[in-house]
Amino acid sequence: MSAYVLQQLINGLVLGSMYALVAVGFSMIYSIVRLINFAHGDVAMIGAFSTFLVFAAAGLPLWVIVPATLAVGAAVAAIIEFLVFRPQRQAPQVNGFITSLGVSILIQNVGILLLSAQPRSVRLPGLLRTNHDFFGARVTTLDILIVAATLISLLVLTLFVKRTRLGIAMRATSENVSAAQLMGIPVNRVITAAFAVGGALAGLAGLMWGGRYGQIDPLMGFVPGLKAFVAAVIGGVGSLAGAALGGYLLGMAEIMIVGMLPSEYGSYRDAFVFGLLILVLLVMPNGLLGKPAEERA
Amino acid sequence: MKRRDLLTGVAAGALALSLGIGGASAQDDEPIRIAALYNLTGGMSSIDAPALAAAELRVKQINEAGGLLGREVELISYDTRTDQGETATAAQEAVSEDVVAGIGYGDTTFVMAAAPTFQENGIPFVTSGATHPMLPTWVGDYMFMTAFGDDDQSYAIADYASEELDLDRVMVWTDESMDFTKALSKFFKERFKENGGEIAEEVSFMMGDTDFSSQISRMESLDPPVEGVFISAIPSEAGLTVRQIREAGIDIPIVSGDGFDTPLVAETPGPELANDVYFSSHTYRGDDRPEVEQFIADYEEEYDRPPENSFTPLGYDAIGLIANAIETAGSADPADIRDALEQTRDYKAVTGPISYTRENMVPPKPISIIEVQGGEFNVLEIWRPEEGLEGELQE
Amino acid sequence: MTGGTGMMDRLRHNPAALGIGLLLIGAALIAGAEAWLTPFERTVIGFAGINIILAVSLSFSNGLTGLFSLGHPAFMMLGGYTAAILTFPAMRKSTMLPGLPEFIATSELSLLPATLAGGVVAAVAALIAGFPVLRLRGHYLAVATLGLIVIVQVLINNMDSITRGAIGLAGLPRLSNLWWIYGWVAVTLFVTWQLKHASLGRALMSIRENELASASIGVRRARLKLFAFVLGAFFAGVAGALWAHLVTNLTPNSFGIVTAFMIVVMVVLGGSGSLIGAALAAIALSVISEAARPIERAIDAYGLVQIVTATLLIAVLLFRPQGLFGSGEPVTRRMTTPGKPPSKTSHEHRGGFPNETS
Repeated sequence: MSAYVLQQLINGLVLGSMYALVAVGFSMIYSIVRLINFAHGDVAMIGAFSTFLVFAAAGLPLWVIVPATLAVGAAVAAIIEFLVFRPQRQAPQVNGFITSLGVSILIQNVGILLLSAQPRSVRLPGLLRTNHDFFGARVTTLDILIVAATLISLLVLTLFVKRTRLGIAMRATSENVSAAQLMGIPVNRVITAAFAVGGALAGLAGLMWGGRYGQIDPLMGFVPGLKAFVAAVIGGVGSLAGAALGGYLLGMAEIMIVGMLPSEYGSYRDAFVFGLLILVLLVMPNGLLGKPAEERA
Repeated sequence: MKRRDLLTGVAAGALALSLGIGGASAQDDEPIRIAALYNLTGGMSSIDAPALAAAELRVKQINEAGGLLGREVELISYDTRTDQGETATAAQEAVSEDVVAGIGYGDTTFVMAAAPTFQENGIPFVTSGATHPMLPTWVGDYMFMTAFGDDDQSYAIADYASEELDLDRVMVWTDESMDFTKALSKFFKERFKENGGEIAEEVSFMMGDTDFSSQISRMESLDPPVEGVFISAIPSEAGLTVRQIREAGIDIPIVSGDGFDTPLVAETPGPELANDVYFSSHTYRGDDRPEVEQFIADYEEEYDRPPENSFTPLGYDAIGLIANAIETAGSADPADIRDALEQTRDYKAVTGPISYTRENMVPPKPISIIEVQGGEFNVLEIWRPEEGLEGELQE
Repeated sequence: MTGGTGMMDRLRHNPAALGIGLLLIGAALIAGAEAWLTPFERTVIGFAGINIILAVSLSFSNGLTGLFSLGHPAFMMLGGYTAAILTFPAMRKSTMLPGLPEFIATSELSLLPATLAGGVVAAVAALIAGFPVLRLRGHYLAVATLGLIVIVQVLINNMDSITRGAIGLAGLPRLSNLWWIYGWVAVTLFVTWQLKHASLGRALMSIRENELASASIGVRRARLKLFAFVLGAFFAGVAGALWAHLVTNLTPNSFGIVTAFMIVVMVVLGGSGSLIGAALAAIALSVISEAARPIERAIDAYGLVQIVTATLLIAVLLFRPQGLFGSGEPVTRRMTTPGKPPSKTSHEHRGGFPNETS
């Protein structure tokens, strides 16, 4: 394998890690309450703004900034859940989706009103931009951290869902809400926890996004949110591993189409990505790792 | 029955509302109204909002100095929400509200959704930031440009790249989702090849992209290596590309057009990485003409921030052009303003003198070549287009 | 019961008379609007009409069958571009769009045939795309149709010699007026209404309610779904054509994902499957968006309209989860209405997301 291909694989891995992180939080919420939460990307935006405009501006060190951002993401998501999604739990699913669109439009426009749409240059404290040589390819310290943080988050999340009482309660709730309730599981608390975990991951993604690219704006959540939706669907909605896989595939596809195809096809990138996605779905109508939808009798 | 009453109620209310928004007839003691159409929300807002802010500042200054022809100037602004349907609606609303002129937009496609309505109604429309050299030809004799044409700015930077930077072999990056960026690349490639240069490779990206690692790796893999890269981008992508290219340890010159004229080019990479960037832009940044320094000082005082990008002084100049025309004509009648605008010669705008001497009505403005070194902007030279030159353009 | 209600009852039993009456009232309103309103007011009303066509047709295909398609903007683009290329002055066409085949480059159609052609092209595209894609359900279908928007956008952006790429088609003849737009609104409402209340409508509704059961009683669901999807796309194409000749400018970015969301919002606000509800929601959103403009300007807070609209949207969903009219129609409540009265539908109609049980 040439150094060029290796370099592009690394590029895809880093971009995919960020998509995966947003997609897993997105899928986490979906698996519990069957909600396509379009405001998820905007939670990442709020995470990014609090990281850079509040915590970093206050001169806090990275080891304080990261948990603080996680907490902000978790709190914002839990508050949104309490205010608008909880009262609608019995409503048709499409309502949740539309509500989340409403929340997203609301957050973005409040953001423009308060902060202006102008992108801001931001920087993480510390020397994270150092380049390292990796078999002829180049990676920065931040790239390594991003991939590691994503993998660690996925691992922790898997253990959490499989091993802890709360995680098991979540899985029970995701199987059947009313049965879980009958079993004495505090469903409301479990759902709040799911939103909080998803929100924390989104906040972390916002931090990484801002840190890697160095620019944030109130509309920055839209594209990652959309990509997360797409990634989660390719992977199979509701499957955490599927969402991560979908995120990595999407990031890899975007990088490779630009990197490998003759340049005159580069402007067709998004058409290729979505064409590929439709093909995947036609072959596997429930996504890569999704469970088949049961026919309701 | 109840629901049917509600239904008729809604319909009647809608009708009453729409009827209620009518216009009043202009009188001499009434303010002179100018419409400002910009995308203040949605994807284009980071380009358009600063232009409106500067236009509002100019109107405020005019009124503080006693207005025009003894009348106050009123700027009626419309947020068209990065939506062309809204743009068409707002244009219709503006022309129905007795405005004498309209200004707006940093992007050609939005001008094309609004300006024809002004043309049909015999009201001049001055675009502050759109740079497509065919605009006045497409719209008609009521269409005016504040900025230079994309051909001029591309030729300026292409000449500089060939002659001063001695580049023979470059790569071209283009934002394929916008007309402005596509046109800029097209004119650059045309001129750079005429100058004997070689375009080694082209890559594309889309507005809203933040990750350019694939394009960068592609650039690194070229053999023989390129000596420079031309990046056709809008302000929100300008700093992102510079930062990522420099972070990858690539130090070849980066060249571009006025989309790079934003503090983000220096701030996003930071002073240690913002080096060897060269772009063509309006004679404004780093310029020491008194009108430039005055504008920057006034803008900072009004808004507590420096002008965001080059669309900002252009918004200021668009109002200036119209005000100048009203005073020259001694009339606030749209047709008189149009005639006066057409006769504009050597108007001292912040972004350089404006004259409509060319057949295609694109002002032949001087163009600054600006470099960024250590996060600082310096003007290197002023490029002058041929007066009255008719570009060989096709629709 | 008053005398007036008695008359209404009589009218209900004579739908032809009711229809003709409504048409006459509508025609009088349009004549009045064209005569007395300013171009701006007519533009606002025109866009409201286009939104009605979009919302009603999407409500028909999504609401009735439980499909969840976001693809309307893709069909609007296809319809809009087709119609725009056909009405474009032949003189300019040969230089500006050199890639067109000879017979299109030399012809210059009037609005009606161009609009029909736009609708047909959109419908054919829906037929080709729908055949494989409609096997997907729920969110999978939503993402696939989202992909359709992106693909059409990218293709139009890259086919410069036929579409002029990113700069778009500018200077189109301003042919759309209220007669054309509301004529198409009437056609859209008539066709979808007839289909909804015919046995076909019941078959479609049965797919939404229970796909397995409807299959077992012999409803050929694949064909019916495809039919609903193609018909919806036809009207979206028509709406795109009307839009292009109202704005007189068309670019690949004219309709996108945001447009798709706005149309879905109208459908859900009106009540999934309620045609009149979708139409009213379209009008309400158009009016709010324009009426709030002066307020936004007065307090210099741009974005306020979107904030207010989003808040209203959330409030409606919180307090009336079934939308304004459920899947029923406000005017036929006491007639033979398919489905149940709106008040009972809230928890049973999982509108838009059929059989999502995984």
